[in-house]
Amino acid sequence: MVNFTVEEIRGLMDNPKNIRNMSVIAHVDHGKSTLTDSLVQRAGIISSAKAGEARFTDTRPDEQERGVTIKSTAISLFAQLLDEEDLKDIPVPTEKNEFLINLIDSPGHVDFSSEVTAALRVTDGALVVVDTVEGVCVQTETVLRQALGERIKPVVVINKVDRALLELQVSKEDLYQNFSRVIESVNVVISTYFDKTLGDVQVYPDKGTIAFGSGLHGWAFTVRQFASKYAKKFGVDKNKMMERLWGDNYFNPKTKKWTKNGDYEGQQLERAFCQFILDPIFRIFNAVMNFKKDEIPKLCEKLEIKLAGDEKDLEGKQLLKVIMKKFLPAADALLEMMVLHLPSPVTAQKYRMETLYEGPPDDEAAIAIRDCDPKGTLMLYVSKMVPTSDKGRFYAFGRVFAGTVRSGLKVRIQGPNYTPGKKEDLFVKSIQRTILMMGRYTEPIEDVPAGNILGLVGIDQFLLKSGTLTTSETAHNMKVMKFSVSPVVQRSVEVKNANDLPKLVEGLKRLSKSDPCVLTYITESGEHVVAGAGELHLEICLKDLEEDHAGVPLRISDPVVQYRESVAAESRMTALSKSPNKHNRLYVIAAPLSEEVSKDIESGKIGPRDDFKARARILADEHGWDVTDARKIWCFGPDTSGANVLVDQTKAVQYLNEIKDSVVSGFQWATKEGPVAEEPMRSVRFNIMDVTLHADAIHRGGGQIIPTARRVLYAATLLADPSLLEPVFLVEIQVPENAMGGIYSVLTRRRGHVFEEVQRPGTPLFNIKAYLPVNESFGFNADLRSNTSGQAFPQMVFDHWQLLPGGSPLDKTTMPGKIVETMRKRKGIKPDVPGYENYYDKL
Amino acid sequence: MVTSAPAVAPVLSTPDTHVFEDPTPPIDTAALPKLDDEQLYLQYEIKRTIEEIRGGGWKRIALQFPDDMLMDAPRVYEALRDGLGNKRKSEGTANGAKHAEERVVYGRVEELEQDVQKLELEHAKGGNQGRDQEEEKLCILADTSYGACCVDEVAAEHVDAQVVVHYGRSCLSPTARLPVIYVFTTKPLDLDAVAATFQETYPDKDAKVILMADIPYSSHIKAFYSKLQATGYTNIFATDIIHNPSSALPNRTVPAEVESDAETLRQYSLFHISEPPSSLLLIVSSRVASVQIYPTGSTDNQALPVSTAMTLRRRYALVTRLSTASIFGILVNTLSVANYLSALSHVQDVIKRAGKKSYTFVVGKVNAAKVANFSEVDGWVVIGCWESSLIESKDFWKPIITPWELELALTDERERVWTGEWMGDFMSVLRKEKKDVEEEGMDADRTVGEGEAEPEAEAEANGEGDWDDESDSEPPVFDLRTGRYVSQSRPMARARPSRDTKSGPGQAKVAQSLIKRANGDLAQIGGEVSPAAEFLRSKRTWQGLGSDYEIAYEYDDDGKVKGAQMEEGRSGIARGYVVGDDPSKA
Repeated sequence: MVNFTVEEIRGLMDNPKNIRNMSVIAHVDHGKSTLTDSLVQRAGIISSAKAGEARFTDTRPDEQERGVTIKSTAISLFAQLLDEEDLKDIPVPTEKNEFLINLIDSPGHVDFSSEVTAALRVTDGALVVVDTVEGVCVQTETVLRQALGERIKPVVVINKVDRALLELQVSKEDLYQNFSRVIESVNVVISTYFDKTLGDVQVYPDKGTIAFGSGLHGWAFTVRQFASKYAKKFGVDKNKMMERLWGDNYFNPKTKKWTKNGDYEGQQLERAFCQFILDPIFRIFNAVMNFKKDEIPKLCEKLEIKLAGDEKDLEGKQLLKVIMKKFLPAADALLEMMVLHLPSPVTAQKYRMETLYEGPPDDEAAIAIRDCDPKGTLMLYVSKMVPTSDKGRFYAFGRVFAGTVRSGLKVRIQGPNYTPGKKEDLFVKSIQRTILMMGRYTEPIEDVPAGNILGLVGIDQFLLKSGTLTTSETAHNMKVMKFSVSPVVQRSVEVKNANDLPKLVEGLKRLSKSDPCVLTYITESGEHVVAGAGELHLEICLKDLEEDHAGVPLRISDPVVQYRESVAAESRMTALSKSPNKHNRLYVIAAPLSEEVSKDIESGKIGPRDDFKARARILADEHGWDVTDARKIWCFGPDTSGANVLVDQTKAVQYLNEIKDSVVSGFQWATKEGPVAEEPMRSVRFNIMDVTLHADAIHRGGGQIIPTARRVLYAATLLADPSLLEPVFLVEIQVPENAMGGIYSVLTRRRGHVFEEVQRPGTPLFNIKAYLPVNESFGFNADLRSNTSGQAFPQMVFDHWQLLPGGSPLDKTTMPGKIVETMRKRKGIKPDVPGYENYYDKL
Repeated sequence: MVTSAPAVAPVLSTPDTHVFEDPTPPIDTAALPKLDDEQLYLQYEIKRTIEEIRGGGWKRIALQFPDDMLMDAPRVYEALRDGLGNKRKSEGTANGAKHAEERVVYGRVEELEQDVQKLELEHAKGGNQGRDQEEEKLCILADTSYGACCVDEVAAEHVDAQVVVHYGRSCLSPTARLPVIYVFTTKPLDLDAVAATFQETYPDKDAKVILMADIPYSSHIKAFYSKLQATGYTNIFATDIIHNPSSALPNRTVPAEVESDAETLRQYSLFHISEPPSSLLLIVSSRVASVQIYPTGSTDNQALPVSTAMTLRRRYALVTRLSTASIFGILVNTLSVANYLSALSHVQDVIKRAGKKSYTFVVGKVNAAKVANFSEVDGWVVIGCWESSLIESKDFWKPIITPWELELALTDERERVWTGEWMGDFMSVLRKEKKDVEEEGMDADRTVGEGEAEPEAEAEANGEGDWDDESDSEPPVFDLRTGRYVSQSRPMARARPSRDTKSGPGQAKVAQSLIKRANGDLAQIGGEVSPAAEFLRSKRTWQGLGSDYEIAYEYDDDGKVKGAQMEEGRSGIARGYVVGDDPSKA
């Protein structure tokens, strides 16, 4: 570890070119945290005051118990290139050989991928960890996709090479083939999500963007490292050497020449990678693990490894670890790779600005972000909240993208719903303190310039989960993070003792703050609900709630699924409702909205804030809408952004503008609580066909129109073959061939179906992708495990909404009908769905 | 402009035939049973009414009927008029004998009545016997302004009534101005069937049960009680009607032990005859062990256990939902329940203290259409009698809560508990406030005693501190209902009326001077923009005539706003309009 004073760290912050912000991302159990550990032990910055205290990375006790990372943790590292000459290899001219690396270790389990999203937002580069044996897994792909979506440049480390050597006992050539397969699949993912501005970011060993190693044993290497060693020896250019040390390059010891042809006079030549890089490693492994005591000192001498006195007495794996660590220290390889190949904030913010900033690309704030200007207007994004030791208070964790933030600075805090020029979600407040966050430890710091990651004290009560801080009155928001997971699994909680209610309420507030994804709310029927991304996520959240945030005993219900109400057809006749005074009439037809449009609305591609012309263009060109209709979308709902639309198709109706607000209110109301089971609606398009209004304004006020709009929308929905939508998980399972039968039987029993089945090249493992209704997913893991004797590991992530099959929800004998009935009973409303006649008026 | 006349008139309004359609569901009078004169006489307690009217010496009497009894109103009116007339005559002859001497002295009564002074003299002397002979004026009040359960004092005052006879079920809320004769219009009850059901429900003869009945059936309670006692029940209690909505059992007496210790009520079960109003259920269910209802309407005589847990939970959701509301509408839903004015000012005060804005409305009978006219309002508080304050309907655009619930909604979340207790009566809120004030007063006394004017100085200092922080914003509030943060939930938190009153003479000057407002500026109260004006500006797209050019949404193919060419219109007065400057073109 490196002992630094706050002043020294602060000094490093002033050179944005020498900063690397990066996250470590990977599939669960591929060894992120272990690898991070080895980095921290070597290069972790601790302030001198905290030196000697407990380790950084252990944060929560349950993380260690389960062996799963739950929260992402940031740590700072200090790196120097071993060779000053290497500075020239950094694509941007850099002078100082001192680097500050802010590293965020993120969870690998899919349920916590919102933490990954939050981590990616504040970093520019990603260290993707891939298991040699397991290869690219589901979550590897997901996090890579997320990273590329945020324009984050990846480098890869292929981890657990020791397993391949010790457990699988592969040959050198096999190992090479394995490596290249893994690399190829990583590159397939990267090129799938190719982003023009980011450029080609595929990874190649011979470019130095891939490292190989073992986090557990603390060693790693890049081809570049070996290349520079051999370059001196052979007297060739290092870069040339790098190219030769990967791929189909062979060195013929007889002719002393490099060839591309592995076949020489009928003999198979050894690949350069194997010969020059793998060979010494294999030899060490061979010597140590086979207890060839006499060979070890010789090898050590040859490789210039010096063992300390007591280390010489070690044997087996212990000795192996020591030797390898000395031979190829992981930190050196990884730090070098990060410094050389990951972009500095200055470089990254140039191309990331447009994906980060909502406003126009040429305003003051945008330019300051683009230039990473410490003197510009402050733009700071808070990506998550970190609980402090002080109960109920949080540090706001984020990154300065432009300007400099300091303690006492008065800033504008803009919540996610802020729109420039309006007062909603806007707060002015002085920052109490700026702090450095290093693992669990915090250290006050005077100010922090652009490009750095930091914590803020004193603004937590203004932001729920994330938001933008700025000093400019005209600045727009930084873009709100889009999570790849949604909170679709929910449980309701209640206190065992009524007097504990305030504690529960307070606990729910805190819980909601402490996790980027969790949602807590009270239903219309008065239940406190906690919603999470998956069973594990919810379990952790509820545990936190009960033990930490609320600290009172709770009763927790079984998991419940939220449904959506939709329509399957167009209304079979135009719905008509009259206002209470009978003087106004609304005529509406409901029709299904295509799934693509709904998804575009939910992903924010089409939204209420768009320019209506641009929106109409997208709808017309991509979804086949009539342009006139597309231009006359009145609103989206529920919550003004949901996936239902209200389209005005009337012709020449007088006073229509006047009632628009009222109809919109009624629409928001109706879509929030549908007619079938008071669940939110989704994917419905309402067309207002005609409107008759009273000539006097007083007789067509909100009181007449709002309730009528709701009634007519209900009638239109009930006339349009109402249906329920259920959330569906995408399940990805990795399983050996012999256990596949078990998977199929479990899935079939649970209404799931497999839609893809691919064998992982070179392994007996299969990758299975399937859809599974969330409602059927409770206990799926355990069921699957028992049916495959523990060989299948599923990952579930919410994918889409699907029509709940089995008939009409209005018919009580069908499955949807039964679900509706139980839902209505649970909510304390009449078990029967009211007929359309309740909302329909005869002419 | 010469255009061809349209073939048909444009549809701009609903045909005249619809104009008088009543939106409220009509009561099918034909379906209601017809009473014969005998029944009518008994059910409407004509005899008692006449006696009470005579006893009170009232001359102008208002008869208030609920909608479903209106069909009987003329006959009740006639019965009362005849009855009162007969009574007057018979008493008149008796009085005649008594006053014989005076008659001799003063001559004919008619003469006497003409002499006002003498009449007053007689008043002073012998009570109002002299007016006994005046014919009573009866008046039927239909179409009550608020709820049929409340006495409509305002309507009664329109006819200058001295007393109101209230028919049908009543909430028995104390009235402010007029005396009331309640006629509960007793309904028949098959006591044997009820008793059988009771025995079925409570097989244990020692069970602690309170007998209660909906008001029209309450006269049967006595008989029912003795019937049950005869069968061996020992621990039952029969309730009597009292006029006290804030009793532990609203408007009913409670067992003696309960009066001393309210907790003991929890040991009792409640057997209720006929379906009670939902607010009664909410109030009672948390106070007794269980509630069983004997439905009078249906044929199967099965007592139904009721649970209000679901309703209470929904109310809880409403309360939490409204805790972040920024604008409250106060619906004054009564003009007769005593203390409604102090309740109103209390509610206004509570809302103000919470930094929120309130507007007060009187709309008569509440319905969805009326309250939805004010879309600025986030939630409604209804000040009415305890029975009608609970408005549970999905049709309302914004929820409606009671003053008691409001108090809860505006309590800090760190203190808010929801025990299942529920109150509909605003008197309980007022009483609580009174108690708080008293306690505070006592506290204040104590502090003043200890350390002179210190608290005041401290308050001043705090105030100053707040001023410095003025530019810092109020933190948002976590909306439990949606799980999000809500900003601006306390729009009036910055307004400092209390300070203004303190600052004395300078204040009045400012308030009286006219200030010219720049175009587009919004009205400000205490330095804060009026929430309703803010709503109009930021949330409404339609802001009145002339604002619609901005929200035109009909576009031609080039994306340009479609519209007709503007033409100069006529101007001038009716005698002669001109177009533009040219008078000839008129």
